[in-house]
Amino acid sequence: MGHTIAEKILGSHAGGKPAKAGEIVVADVDFSMIHDARAGNALKMIDKLGAGRADFALPHVKRTALVLDHYSPPPNMEAANTHVAMRAFSEKHGSPLYDVGDGICHQVLPEGGHLTCGDLVVGTDTHSTTYGAFNAFGTGVEGTDVSALMMTGKLWFRVPETIRIELQGALQPGVWAKDVTLTMLGKLGAEGANYQALEYVGSGVSAMAIDDRMTLSNHAAELGAKAALLEADEKTFAWLKAHGAATPRPVTADADAIYARRIVIDTAKLPPQVARQHLIDDVVGVPEVKNQKIQVALIGTCTNGRLDDIRQAAAILKGRKLAKGVRMIVTPASRAIYLAAMREGLFEILTTAGASVEAAGCGTCVNITGHYIAGDNQVVISSANRNFKGRLGNPKSEIWIGSAATVAASALTGMITDARTVAGGDWRAAA
Amino acid sequence: MNIIKGSARVLGDEVNTDVQCSSKYLPGRDTAYIATVAFDQVAPGFAKGFKKGDVIVAGKNFGINSSREQAVHIMHQMGVAAIVAPSFGRQFFRNAINNGLAVIECDTSGIAAGDAIEIDPVAGKVMVASRNIARAVPPLPAAVQALLAAGGLIPFLQKHPDWNLNVKEQTA
Ligand code: SF4
Repeated sequence: MGHTIAEKILGSHAGGKPAKAGEIVVADVDFSMIHDARAGNALKMIDKLGAGRADFALPHVKRTALVLDHYSPPPNMEAANTHVAMRAFSEKHGSPLYDVGDGICHQVLPEGGHLTCGDLVVGTDTHSTTYGAFNAFGTGVEGTDVSALMMTGKLWFRVPETIRIELQGALQPGVWAKDVTLTMLGKLGAEGANYQALEYVGSGVSAMAIDDRMTLSNHAAELGAKAALLEADEKTFAWLKAHGAATPRPVTADADAIYARRIVIDTAKLPPQVARQHLIDDVVGVPEVKNQKIQVALIGTCTNGRLDDIRQAAAILKGRKLAKGVRMIVTPASRAIYLAAMREGLFEILTTAGASVEAAGCGTCVNITGHYIAGDNQVVISSANRNFKGRLGNPKSEIWIGSAATVAASALTGMITDARTVAGGDWRAAA
Repeated sequence: MNIIKGSARVLGDEVNTDVQCSSKYLPGRDTAYIATVAFDQVAPGFAKGFKKGDVIVAGKNFGINSSREQAVHIMHQMGVAAIVAPSFGRQFFRNAINNGLAVIECDTSGIAAGDAIEIDPVAGKVMVASRNIARAVPPLPAAVQALLAAGGLIPFLQKHPDWNLNVKEQTA
C-alpha cells in the first residue's frame, strides 16, 4: 500500500517508515517560526516550560526564526515592547530575526534559505502551509508548540488524510493560482479540508512560476488544510539553490497512495474568480459580476504580495491612471521583493498611476496597524486571503477578494473587472 | 483518564474562539476579564451562567479559524471540563490538547442546555441518560490521553523531556 507526501514526510521525521493517516507521531521538526502577533504568548510559554528548572536549556533555538511582520510598524506600546522582547531574545539565543520592514514570515522563511524539499516546518500562523510550495510539510502551531520545539526539537502531529487535486492545463494569462484556490473554496467551502492535507498535481502546477505556487499552498489555509504539498521540479530546485537552501530531499506520493478524495480542475479554461463580501467561499466568476463598484484596491499579503503580482499590476496600470475616486495601496511581501520591484521600475509605474506603495509587511491584510481602515459603505477589492466582516476595521464596509490582476483591473475601471478584458491584463509570468 | 461528568452548556455551529473567547478584538483585556464575557455575542449571558465543571456542547467546527491558545486558557479560567462537538477547527483542537482541555468529537444533536452529560474518553462514549443518548466515539488516542492526563504539553514535557508518549499517566 502506497503513501502520500504528508505520510512520507511525517514518517521520515518520526523514525523512518512512512506514517499512516490518523496515526499520532512525534516528529523531529527542521525549522520553525514565531511572528510578533503570537510572540508574547510564545515567550510566556518558554518561561513556563523552564520555570523552576536549573537545567533548562533551549538547544534547538537557532532553528526558530522570529519575525516582526504583523505589528509592522507597531501600532501601540504593547506591540513595540513585544518587538523589544523579540530582539532581546534573538540577541541572547541566536535565533534568526527578521525586523520590521524585512517582510512577512511566510515570505522571508523560504527567501532566507531556511527550508528545503522534504522538510517539516511549523510556524505560529495558519498560513504556514505556504512551505508546501517547496515540497516541505508546513503547518500552523501555537506558542506552546514552539517552546517545546526549542527545548526538544520535536512535536506531536496527527497524520492527515490527503485530498489530491489535479490541475489540468496551464492557466490563461491573467488567471492565477488565486483563482484556483477560490474555485476550490467555492467547491469545498471554507474549512472544507479541515484536518486534511492537499496535494496539488498536474500540468497546471508545473506551468506555474514559484510565486504562484506559493499562493496555491498559502491560500489552502482558508480551506482549513493542515498542509498543501506540491511536488518539486527543476523550478523548485533552481529557486531553492538561488536562495541558499540546503540540498533538497524531494518527496513524491506513491502511485497507489490512499486519498480521502480526488478532485480535477480544468485550469486551462478557468476564468478569474472573486469571493464576494464577508464570505471567502461565496465565489463567482469575475465575468458574472456586473456593475460592482469599488473604491479601494489592495495588493499585498502573504497570499499575493509577490513580485509577479506586482508585475501583473504594473502591466495593467502602465501609462494609465486609477479610476476617479479609487484609492490603491501596494504592499510587497518582503524587502527582497520591494527591492526587485523598485529596480524593475514597477513602483514608478504604480505611483504614477495613483497608487501608494508601503513598506514590506502584513500591511493591509487586517486592521492591526491602521495601514488601511475602511469607511462606511466602502467596497474594497483585495488580493488578501480573508474577508470576514470587519477585517479592515469596519463592519459596515465590504471586502471582495481576487487576484492581483483582478484588483489592478478593478482599480483601473472602478468596477470589478476581468483583467483579460484590459490591455496588460493578459500578462504572464515567465515561468 | 477519568470519566468526565458535567452539566451541558450549549453553543451553535462555527463558533470562532478568536472572536468569542480571546483578546484578539479586545486588545489589552486580560484573560480574567474575557472569561466573564466569553461567547456573549453568540449566547448572551453564557459566561455569567457558567459553572466550574460544566461541559460545552457545541455545533460543528467549534473553534474554526481560531489560532490563539489564549482561548483555551480562558476556558480553563471559566472552569470548562470538556468540549463536545461534531468537529473542531484544526488549530483549536491542537491548542486544546496542548493545554490540557479534553475535546471530544461527537454528534451533539438532541443534547440541551442543563442536561447531565457523561463522557468516557478512554472507552469512547458520550451519554445523556435523561434523553437515552449513548453515542460511541473513537477513543482518544493514547498519545492525546497522555498529554491531557499530564495537564497539557508543557507539564508533560517537564516530566517527560524525552517525549515518551507511551507512559501510563496517573489520572489527575
Ligand atoms: S499577510 Fe495577513 S494572512 Fe499573511 S501572515 Fe500577515 S496577517 Fe496573516
